Amino acid sequence: MELYLTKNFKTRGSKTLKVYLKNGGYKASKKALKKMKPEEVTEEIKKSGLRGRGGAGFPTGLKWTFMPKGNEKPKYIGCNCDESEPGTFKDRQIIENEPHQLIEGLIIGSYAMGIKACYIYIRGEYTMQAEILQKAVDEAYKENYLGKNIFDSGFNCDIYVHRGAGAYICGEETGLMESVEGKKGQPRKKPPFPAGYGLWGNPTTINNVETFCHVPHIINNGADWFKKIGTEKSAGNTIFGISGHIKKPGTYELPMGYNLKDLIFKIAGGIRNDNKLKAVIPGGSSTKVLPAGMVDVKMDHDSLMQAGSSLGTGAVIVMDNTSCMVRVGIVLSHFYRHESCGQCTNCREGTSWIHQILLGIENGRGKKEDIDLLLDVAGNMEANTICALSDAAAWPIQGLIKHFRGEFEDHIKSGKCTCPESFEI
Amino acid sequence: MPTFTINGKEVKTEAGKTILQAAVANGVRIPHFCYHPHLSIDGCCRMCLVEVEKIPKLTIACNTPVTEGMVVRTNTEKVLKARKGVMEFQLINHPLDCPICDQAGECKLQQYTFEHGITHSRFREEKRPGRKRFKIGPRVVFDEERCILCRRCVRFCREVSKTGELAVFSRGDKSIINTYPGISLDNKYSLNTVDICPVGALTNADFRFQVRVWFLEETKAVCPGCSNNCSIRICHRRGKVYRLLPRKNMDVNKVWMCDNGRITHKQIETSNRLTVPLVKKGNKLEEVSWNEAFDTIAKGIQKIKNNEIGAIGSPHATNEECYLFNKLIKNVFNIKNDIECIVPSWEADDLLIKKEKAANPQGAREFGVKTNDTSSVKKIIKGNLKALYIIGNDIIDNSNTKQDVLQTLSKLDFLVVQDTHNSDLSSIANVVLPSATFAEKEGTFTNINGFVQKTNRAVPCPAKAKPDLEILSGVAKAMGRPFETIEPDKVMDEISKNVKSFKNICYEKLGETGIKINN
Ligand SMILES: Cc1cc2nc3c(=O)[nH]c(=O)nc-3n(C[C@H](O)[C@H](O)[C@H](O)COP(=O)(O)O)c2cc1C
Ligand code: SF4
Ligand code: SF4
Ligand code: SF4
Ligand code: FES
Repeated sequence: MELYLTKNFKTRGSKTLKVYLKNGGYKASKKALKKMKPEEVTEEIKKSGLRGRGGAGFPTGLKWTFMPKGNEKPKYIGCNCDESEPGTFKDRQIIENEPHQLIEGLIIGSYAMGIKACYIYIRGEYTMQAEILQKAVDEAYKENYLGKNIFDSGFNCDIYVHRGAGAYICGEETGLMESVEGKKGQPRKKPPFPAGYGLWGNPTTINNVETFCHVPHIINNGADWFKKIGTEKSAGNTIFGISGHIKKPGTYELPMGYNLKDLIFKIAGGIRNDNKLKAVIPGGSSTKVLPAGMVDVKMDHDSLMQAGSSLGTGAVIVMDNTSCMVRVGIVLSHFYRHESCGQCTNCREGTSWIHQILLGIENGRGKKEDIDLLLDVAGNMEANTICALSDAAAWPIQGLIKHFRGEFEDHIKSGKCTCPESFEI
Repeated sequence: MPTFTINGKEVKTEAGKTILQAAVANGVRIPHFCYHPHLSIDGCCRMCLVEVEKIPKLTIACNTPVTEGMVVRTNTEKVLKARKGVMEFQLINHPLDCPICDQAGECKLQQYTFEHGITHSRFREEKRPGRKRFKIGPRVVFDEERCILCRRCVRFCREVSKTGELAVFSRGDKSIINTYPGISLDNKYSLNTVDICPVGALTNADFRFQVRVWFLEETKAVCPGCSNNCSIRICHRRGKVYRLLPRKNMDVNKVWMCDNGRITHKQIETSNRLTVPLVKKGNKLEEVSWNEAFDTIAKGIQKIKNNEIGAIGSPHATNEECYLFNKLIKNVFNIKNDIECIVPSWEADDLLIKKEKAANPQGAREFGVKTNDTSSVKKIIKGNLKALYIIGNDIIDNSNTKQDVLQTLSKLDFLVVQDTHNSDLSSIANVVLPSATFAEKEGTFTNINGFVQKTNRAVPCPAKAKPDLEILSGVAKAMGRPFETIEPDKVMDEISKNVKSFKNICYEKLGETGIKINN
């Protein structure tokens, strides 16, 4: 297993320009700017099969081709470092350890799409990370890796670090754009789509931090090299984050399609206190839970879809047998209730209703019809709203009930939690 | 013109229309809350979801442009289920007390709930509490519990009145409509938010709980508040006017009207209406019959030389009234002096409000009446005048000149005042003729841009007061020169024969929104 994203993370000073250069940094951008045409860069990314690492897994090269050619209007990149999906903390590792990798990815992306400026939207809570990132950007400007006429190629590239104020919804790409424009973070209706009408009404492409970080490596090593890593439809490595009741929580760079069970037991050391595994949320809080019996699954888009869940951000949340699934539902639904921007009827009302039904069950007010009611409400929240937060709030509830219906029934019947060692609400 | 299929029917639609607009144009109703044809598209309520072939998810009709060959279904099981879902979400936190809500009868939520046969609630939690009877502005009352957060009011203040007082604060289920800190919903158009609020969240402080809307009759009329002549509906019951609402007229006011226009009906019912004809006997004005009043005028006028008689018309009079007043003065009284009139004014804006604060100064001008602003009052009361026939009381509108004017006029030998209200002017008249307000008469107005619109009688005149056309005709008759007709439509036929700019105008052609004169 070859590491490329995190290979240098342990090197002393890996976040400095000096060390990044020593490790071969800014070669890819120089190659792209000096030796390749913009279309060739996009083509290479397309060929590599790179898919977005922000959660939806959209093919990156294809997304780039949606941008209009020509320069009638300024074009922008929004780099998504909002990283607010519970369980997800991979982009943070990149920023903390090797921010120039991201900057280089942005330079190449900018060149490919003819971008005027990049806005890195970093979540408000990432205070230290925003400083590191700003420092790296300043360094790059100083040495003319950013700014005017980079590598004497005639190409200019600007990056601005924009700090969020702490809202999950600003990670949704159009919510992000509103926030960058200084407005309330609320997703925009589509159409229009960002590639036509994005930041300040101009063509914009939004990609995740990690997505951009793959780009220099693809340019250096070629699309074919990249395609050989991972699975046929989910190429490359990715940074899995693992947290919860696990012995060695943290981030691990592994090829796409890596076995979830191996990730838990071989890589991350197994369950805390050698407890029994109960369930795993495989890809961040919005993905549907998998019961212990289903964790022998490959961590790629197709395999997890087949298993009835999704890869999401590759953020694995491990739960041992002390976890009460009703309470898990409460924690998750509270998050979505709190983070819904509130414009869509379904999401505004549904997130709060689900949370309240679950609290009712927790507090002994549950009725047996509540389980089907939860499914019905979740069903009505799905696929009908402006952005995917409503779906993201519905899916975990559907997953929990699908696999742990009995536990919900017990909870309702006995009027209290039936999981003796569970965490408290 | 793309062709598309809606519910199995192939129809054509204008390019660039959304599914919702094209559906409406083809008689297909798609329920919606946040969409409003005169505001930007929002897309937040999710009520208008429809099925479009080749799009896997349901899509909102209000924001999806129609494309050639598109196949849309608005009534499939999937659509109905989604709509019912949205309705359920809208209702869980909404009070279920329509019987005590002022919007009942004109509420979209109530209507759709009924149409979708939703009879019971699965919501067992406590409903979200909110501010009740909150004065969000001087003329608008807000009931937060009834708000469905469609944001029409927010968009109105941003896009139409361009005052931006409102926003949604907080997020998720804590979202609330409010004004920005330290300001209130106080703009010249604030009551339009009440009209467009689909539920009983925003109500008119003046109108709320006065009457059930289903008891109200509506009469199509024209706002007399300024020379924009917004098309309105007069809502009345048993001779009492309860509110004025805007009526769609794309050339004149779109679907809006100003807050000042909404209170123009207040004049109708005030206690100082003139209700009976009066004639000065000795030092006192005494009630007389109409005939006596008319005869008194005829005698009074005949005593005075033509060049010593003046006439002041009214910028509030209808076209027909202006025309017949003209005829009375020029043909019956045989006066050569110009008919003057005073037009009150206020500050115009670039939405609706026009500078001239009267319904028909433009019409008056078309009939040769000289319009003056209130500062030129003295100029038009010429020294040699012995008699004056005045319609209205704009001549004393300017407080700087009012006393001077009254003093001058009190020296006249003969003063006729035809007006709706008691005033310092009517109290010095020799003959007072009680006339009708805009809601009590029929006729046409010409707005500042030349649009002629019909206004209709909604309520009867109080006591013995009469529409001005009848009054003018009575005077003419007493003078021995009766008019051929005073039916408004016939008068207009006469006008169109005699006044060039009205050549193309006749009542049949006016329709509900009027047409433009030739000038
Ligand atoms: C509610 C919500 C929150 C999101 N938060 C993030 C986030 O924090 N970071 C991120 O990269 N993408 C997030 N996304 C996904 C973005 O909308 C977008 O798809 C992504 O940034 C595209 O990048 P990619 O193509 O590189 O994956 C979120 C989506 C939703 C609906
Ligand atoms: S789905 Fe939820 S978070 Fe997304 S736009 Fe609608 S209300 Fe806001
Ligand atoms: S007050 Fe009325 S118009 Fe405004 S958001 Fe609420 S329901 Fe809509
Ligand atoms: S703008 Fe003029 S005509 Fe229109 S409602 Fe206001 S006062 Fe009446
Ligand atoms: S009317 Fe279309 S979403 Fe509200």
